Amino acid sequence: MMKKIKWGNLYLWLMFVVLYLPIIFLITYSFNAGKVMQGWSGFSLKHYGELFADTRILEIVVNTFLVALLSSLLSSVIGTAGALYIYNIKHALTKNVFLSLNNILLVSPDVIIGAAFLILFTVMGFSLGFTSVLLSHIAFSIPIVVLMVLPRLQEMNRSLVASAKDLGANNWQMLTRVILPVISPGIFAGFFMAFTYSLDDFAVTFFVTGNGFSTLSVEIYSRARQGVSLEINALSAMMFMVSLALVLIYYVISTRAAKSKKQGTRLVLPASEGL
Amino acid sequence: MSRVKWHAFLVTIYLLTKSEGWELTNTSTPIIEFKNVGLSYDDNEVLKNIDLSLEAGKFYTLLGPSGSGKTTILNLISGQLTATHGDILFEGNIINDVPVEKRNMNTVFQDYGLFPNMNVFDNVAFGPTIKRMSKTDINAKVTEMLDLVKLSDYADREINELSGGQRQRVAIARALANDPEVLLLDEPLSALDYKLRKDMQYELREIQQRLGITFVFVTHDQEEALAMSDWIFVMNDGVIQQNGSPEDIYDEPINHFVADFIGESNILDGIMKTDYLVHFTGKDFENVDAGMRPNERVEVVLRPEDLDLTTIENGKLVVTIDDQSFRGDYYEITALDDDGNEWQVQATNKAEIGERVGLTFDPEDIHIMRFNESEDDFDARLESYEDDADDAKE
Amino acid sequence: MMPKSKRQRQFFYIIPYGIWLVLFVIAPLVLLVFQSLTTPTGHFTLHNYAIYFASGTYLRMTFNSVWYAFLITVVTLIVSYPMAYLLNQLKQKQFWLLLIILPTWINLLLKTYAFIGLLSKSGTVNNFIGLWGVVPQQLLFSDWSFLLVAAYIEIPFMILPIFNSLAEINPRLEQASRDLGANRWQTLRRVIVPLSMPGVKAGIQAVFIPSLSLFMITRLIGGNRVITLGTAIEEHFLVTQNWQLGSTIGVVLIVAMVITMILTRDRARRSARKGR
Repeated sequence: MMKKIKWGNLYLWLMFVVLYLPIIFLITYSFNAGKVMQGWSGFSLKHYGELFADTRILEIVVNTFLVALLSSLLSSVIGTAGALYIYNIKHALTKNVFLSLNNILLVSPDVIIGAAFLILFTVMGFSLGFTSVLLSHIAFSIPIVVLMVLPRLQEMNRSLVASAKDLGANNWQMLTRVILPVISPGIFAGFFMAFTYSLDDFAVTFFVTGNGFSTLSVEIYSRARQGVSLEINALSAMMFMVSLALVLIYYVISTRAAKSKKQGTRLVLPASEGL
Repeated sequence: MSRVKWHAFLVTIYLLTKSEGWELTNTSTPIIEFKNVGLSYDDNEVLKNIDLSLEAGKFYTLLGPSGSGKTTILNLISGQLTATHGDILFEGNIINDVPVEKRNMNTVFQDYGLFPNMNVFDNVAFGPTIKRMSKTDINAKVTEMLDLVKLSDYADREINELSGGQRQRVAIARALANDPEVLLLDEPLSALDYKLRKDMQYELREIQQRLGITFVFVTHDQEEALAMSDWIFVMNDGVIQQNGSPEDIYDEPINHFVADFIGESNILDGIMKTDYLVHFTGKDFENVDAGMRPNERVEVVLRPEDLDLTTIENGKLVVTIDDQSFRGDYYEITALDDDGNEWQVQATNKAEIGERVGLTFDPEDIHIMRFNESEDDFDARLESYEDDADDAKE
Repeated sequence: MMPKSKRQRQFFYIIPYGIWLVLFVIAPLVLLVFQSLTTPTGHFTLHNYAIYFASGTYLRMTFNSVWYAFLITVVTLIVSYPMAYLLNQLKQKQFWLLLIILPTWINLLLKTYAFIGLLSKSGTVNNFIGLWGVVPQQLLFSDWSFLLVAAYIEIPFMILPIFNSLAEINPRLEQASRDLGANRWQTLRRVIVPLSMPGVKAGIQAVFIPSLSLFMITRLIGGNRVITLGTAIEEHFLVTQNWQLGSTIGVVLIVAMVITMILTRDRARRSARKGR
């Protein structure tokens, strides 16, 4: 029995090594004095220097985060409205139709979404660039938010709404004072997921971005085809550290919250809820 | 056969059973034995040096409050837990390292642990299927077990279509389908409502007697334990406080914990002045206990149902009625004596609140508990009373 | 008849959401179908579908696409299931799960790019196996490298749902199974795996669909050797500008997807009814 457990641990360790090997590889070579990701020629911080001197890449980083932030904010608002609308539908068939429509973008391959949006923008005479990318990101994030918020609404106590109505709350008061506080964890999770989806998206952006505008994914793709400079490694090292810090803070906060509530330390991850 | 001869025959049988050699149970190996078994997590001692021995074919109950270690003992028997020290024996063989699945015992869990991905039939058939029994044998076994728990018509039902009571029965059938020598039951009735629990108590007892296998039943419900068991282990703080037949435990609680936990009790401080004379609430009372040091401090236990209300003149004590509620077959009365002690009385006659009445009881209803008396000393003392009684008769 | 306040409320909600539904769900879908049914000059035609179904290349591509997505899913599942199972038995399992999720926060392109460095002819892996005297191999631009990188990227998305469904299984059931005489392996096969099937299904969905559009990995790692529908759509839209045929491929893909969805959902519904 002991032997089995050891084999299991070995497997786990091996898998973690495989999962992190490319990332460690990237970060290690960001400190390489040489020009390529092959052959170690000594420690250097020069690629970090190059990175901070490269205004184009810095601009792209800012753009990427701007698109992610704006799209996740707007999609959270629209998605929440959508979830509330679907939740209020009484007719089962209508509800199913709306849910199916909602899920179309979620189950479509990214290339098809990208291609379809490209046709849409062209037909509408929309010029490709920041706005088209932002609209696309909002569009593919909305169904995620809806799916995050709906379960919270369904868990919500119906008598809560009834009693609020009984106490004379109008629509706006009911929404802001009763419903939104209850479903806020779902909205937050949706926002969070929309943010990561937006940061990570390549395929859709690749279709709807014009010549003048680029996000990080697209930029790396075009550079990778020509052979990349190690400043991209420096960038990814920094982004990894930021993600790591965020994750650790999130972990500490949620375990502390769980402890103070004296519940089990079940940490509800936004990403894991969606899948 | 003449009546005289018949009588002589009965006397012979009686004498034989009384004689040393006849008691087969003493010489046969116990089915389960614990030898100095302990279990600790980190520095937390959950079980402390448990010794126990279970005979085959009896209904045992481990009784105690939550956290007393009763379920831990059950998990040690089944093999879900491994002891930190000591030996666990099954039919005389040490089974410390035998994995759960190799032990010929099965468990009925508190939350039933039924497999939601299988229907009733498949749940019951799980054990026999694992044993690679033939299809016809499995069918026969499952049918037999479902008959036993009166669920013959439910074989095709899904688990989530069943009520709590029905799930309970499936869990019992599933555990018994493996023909275990010992059935372990971990608070199986605690999730059922009162009426159903009563029915299941009766039925479990009946199943145990029909199959003749050993049952080890864990509960925190003393009423349940008294009603079902051949033998009870009262547990607290990882220690067996007392073990004995339900009558022994009820009538002669060994210490404050047992007296308080089993049934309702009035427990008072007292002094054993001499043999057969105890002093409490400022008065001397005749009783039937002996063998203590003169003027030893003791605790006195009086069961509410042994107390009766009477006139002030006839009462051994005088009390004032403080509260009263009707319980169907008796009145539950709270009364205060002149020292301020609270008395629980179960009386057949009604009283008025505020009324002063007499309280009476028989000398044999006064149970004496010494402070810190070990179980062995306690047993020895009880035995000496019996010897005294025999001497007195001769 | 709804009360007035409720109608107001619903109206307020449907405006933004409805605009999204019409503009970004229904319109693109209609346009895609429309494109596939027209000539570049805007006349109705079934020619595109004729080309698609008559050409061996497109059919082979379709098959290839599904085949690779299938392989990626299978490889990911085989690797991820034991991983999710073992993770579930750890003490600090939420922390370890977080470590599984963390790599998904690194841009997909960056991870792909790391593999270029790892697998290239003078890369780290070749240097490593070179220590045993193995001649440097061309590891990039092969089916295997594509599979490896794609599976690497998708592993966390498979582990997560499986982990969640495993974590939801009452540990009592494992105890009960052992108690009834099943060993670890039998318990896994008869109890744990059947109960984690919802997670496995979710994982398959979460991996299979995106695997169809991993054209950037195909380009960067597979070196255009692996041609999939994703690559084909990208090429028709962005390189050869033949939107009509690209849309046709897209429509075929959507129809195939809808059919799979209906089939799997029907089964789920039937088992739900049976369960009730």
